[in-house]
Amino acid sequence: MWRDHRLGIVVAAVGCALLVRLDAPRAATPATLQRAAVHAFDVDRLWPKPLGHGWILGSVTGVAVDARDHIWLVHRGLASLTARTEAGTGTTPPTAETCCAPAPFVLEFDPTGTVVGQWGGQGQGYDWPVSPGGIAIGRDGDVWIAAAGPPDVLARGADSGDGPVPGERGRARGPAPSATPADAQVLKFSRTGQFLLQIGHPGRTGTPTSTTDLDRPADVAIDATANEVYVADGGSHQRIAVFDATSGAFKRQWTGHGRDFARVSCVSLSKDGFVYVCDRTNDRLQVFKKDGTFVKEALVSATTKGLGSVWDAAFSPDAAQRFVYVADGQDQKIWVLQRETLDVAGSFGGGGRWPGYFFGVGSVAVDSKGNVYTGETYEGKRLQKFLQK
Amino acid sequence: MARHGISSRRDWAVGAGFALALTGLGLGHAWLARVAAAQPDGGLVQAPKFEVDPMFPKPLPNNWLMGMAIGVGIDAQDHIWIVHRPSTLSPAEAAADQNPPIGSCCSKAPPVLEFDEAGNLIGHWGGPGEGYEWPQSNHGIFIDYKGIVWIGGNGANDAHVLKFTQDGKFVAQYGHFGKNAGSNNFENFGRVAKIFVDPKENEAYIADGYGNKRVAVLDADTGRFKRYWGAYGHKPDDTNLGPYDPNAPPAQQFRNPVHCADLSVDDLVYVCDRVNDRVQVFKKDGTFVKEAFIAKRTLGDGSVFDLAFSKDPQQKYLYLADGMNERVYIMLRDSLEILSSFGDGGRQPGEFFAVHSIATDSHGNIFTTETYEGRRLQKFVFKGVQMVPRNQGVVWPK
Repeated sequence: MWRDHRLGIVVAAVGCALLVRLDAPRAATPATLQRAAVHAFDVDRLWPKPLGHGWILGSVTGVAVDARDHIWLVHRGLASLTARTEAGTGTTPPTAETCCAPAPFVLEFDPTGTVVGQWGGQGQGYDWPVSPGGIAIGRDGDVWIAAAGPPDVLARGADSGDGPVPGERGRARGPAPSATPADAQVLKFSRTGQFLLQIGHPGRTGTPTSTTDLDRPADVAIDATANEVYVADGGSHQRIAVFDATSGAFKRQWTGHGRDFARVSCVSLSKDGFVYVCDRTNDRLQVFKKDGTFVKEALVSATTKGLGSVWDAAFSPDAAQRFVYVADGQDQKIWVLQRETLDVAGSFGGGGRWPGYFFGVGSVAVDSKGNVYTGETYEGKRLQKFLQK
Repeated sequence: MARHGISSRRDWAVGAGFALALTGLGLGHAWLARVAAAQPDGGLVQAPKFEVDPMFPKPLPNNWLMGMAIGVGIDAQDHIWIVHRPSTLSPAEAAADQNPPIGSCCSKAPPVLEFDEAGNLIGHWGGPGEGYEWPQSNHGIFIDYKGIVWIGGNGANDAHVLKFTQDGKFVAQYGHFGKNAGSNNFENFGRVAKIFVDPKENEAYIADGYGNKRVAVLDADTGRFKRYWGAYGHKPDDTNLGPYDPNAPPAQQFRNPVHCADLSVDDLVYVCDRVNDRVQVFKKDGTFVKEAFIAKRTLGDGSVFDLAFSKDPQQKYLYLADGMNERVYIMLRDSLEILSSFGDGGRQPGEFFAVHSIATDSHGNIFTTETYEGRRLQKFVFKGVQMVPRNQGVVWPK
């Protein structure tokens, strides 16, 4: 009697995903008007599947897709959860009965969004990051993780009467920065989490031209053919450093073209052998040859201040990789650039907590079908999937 | 003053005796509820079934963002009203509002938002204005049977409630900012969490609150204080009780915050004693009837954030939002037994971070808002009374 006959319609509509509109380019130059057709995306509102176990994600800092189209993420775990309000079963003693505790740091999802692998944390013979950064999958399915150090602390909104606003004083007890040497390493594991290699050592940053030391590296990329690992080496270094992916031996390095990198935050390799580097707070994407020779650059949303606009980059899966997807964690969108010209062809997203919207979208990856995956840091704390139409 | 309240010594003594007689019964209910909740997927139970609507609401216009969402109410047209705190948005999020702007996203939405049934934003207002004191930290929204919008506030100095028309025109203010004088005062409040208006008697029940430890009842037209009471119907006492201890005997006073005071069709007042992890039920005159403990080992913010009633004529079911364990309990209103629950922690549809407020529309659909960094309005579509698991987890559409 008290059921609504319209419910059927409501539920039928649930299956249709939101069409994420691609905005027109902000400046319609002749070059951008002649752009090739751009793919549209639908957010998949019901992906991935609920984690279960009372697990929640902390700030997600890295997303990658492997050769089997499995999706990998790394997140900051308990250190990024608010002890008093968020990590009720993850604190000692617990403050809640059924929820929530941090999921393991590294999660592997199959294409249906089911967790099929989980590991991470401190172990014998290596230094787990105080705060991870990017993640990349190597030649044999090896998993590389950068130790980026904690992100910038955001200025908070006004306090509330509901108790402390989530913030540093309410954070769960993570590794104390004063007692723990700062992140300065990249790590290589097997796909099941066996430690294989560490480059750099916590608390030992050396010089910006060091052949052994790193400083809060933000991201890694793997050149399977050459068996090399490219490191977006941040902190006081602000360079791209290249190492042998098996021995960890230093091979070469370079810094920003023109102006130095202000906040190097990603490194990605295209199939045709170019190195794409995110220079986040300069709102700049720079392209190099593998030997460090500068090729070209583009400013993306050049008026963006604050945290900057160029956080991470990934390529469309077509043979020519015609598009570059740039994650912009300040403007809360994914920019779609034509790779040839680096012109903005469109964007999707926006600020908010509902599906298809972002808070701190700092990671982007693409599968073999062209679906786009995003990771949100800060209080976004999500992995989202966007289906290519 | 005495004529306004049930404050004679004799009345309090009678109330206390009644409370003691019923304490054992209340604990019995609590025990039953705990057993029911403890069965992990222990078979099926007949209870209302819900599915999250991941398409609801529609995107906000104007690049608007919501802060902590700390109230939801439904009006006679089944419009969904929420109140949130724009001031809790960080400069990095409200980047377009900075001077000069930091980025293109986003701007703070006005504090009061009205959605139609389809989830379209159709009204928005709120904030400081002439003739009233907008709360330092707004909290709780209720639309009464005359269509008046009531708003509370739990800022450190908020001691008042506000009434507006549905288009945001100021109607009345009861109590004054900065004037809190404790739980036995007849003029002001102590950081009000929620309001509920009884259409039969035209009385407003005030969950009072984050500073005071009482339910206060007012004439809904004049704001005149009529009566108030504390836990078990005792005279309220503002002594700090210290942290909640699940192993201690039940506290004889509410802990802050008194977070809801909602009236059922059969004239019972259901009070959320949030940090004490309990619901207490009273007659309209403040006589204690019964209580139930919910997830009793929950510390921190507590388990009993807000509640709402099912929309069958008898209001057979009670829906209780637990913002620490991140779920909604489906309870039998009469026995206060937990039949089932749905929800889990997380940022995806049907998951929660600090599910704070809950309301039902005329079709029986549930709406929730999340505070802290959850900051969402979500809709759960009523699918009828069915056999459901004891622990439903995240209720996605099939």
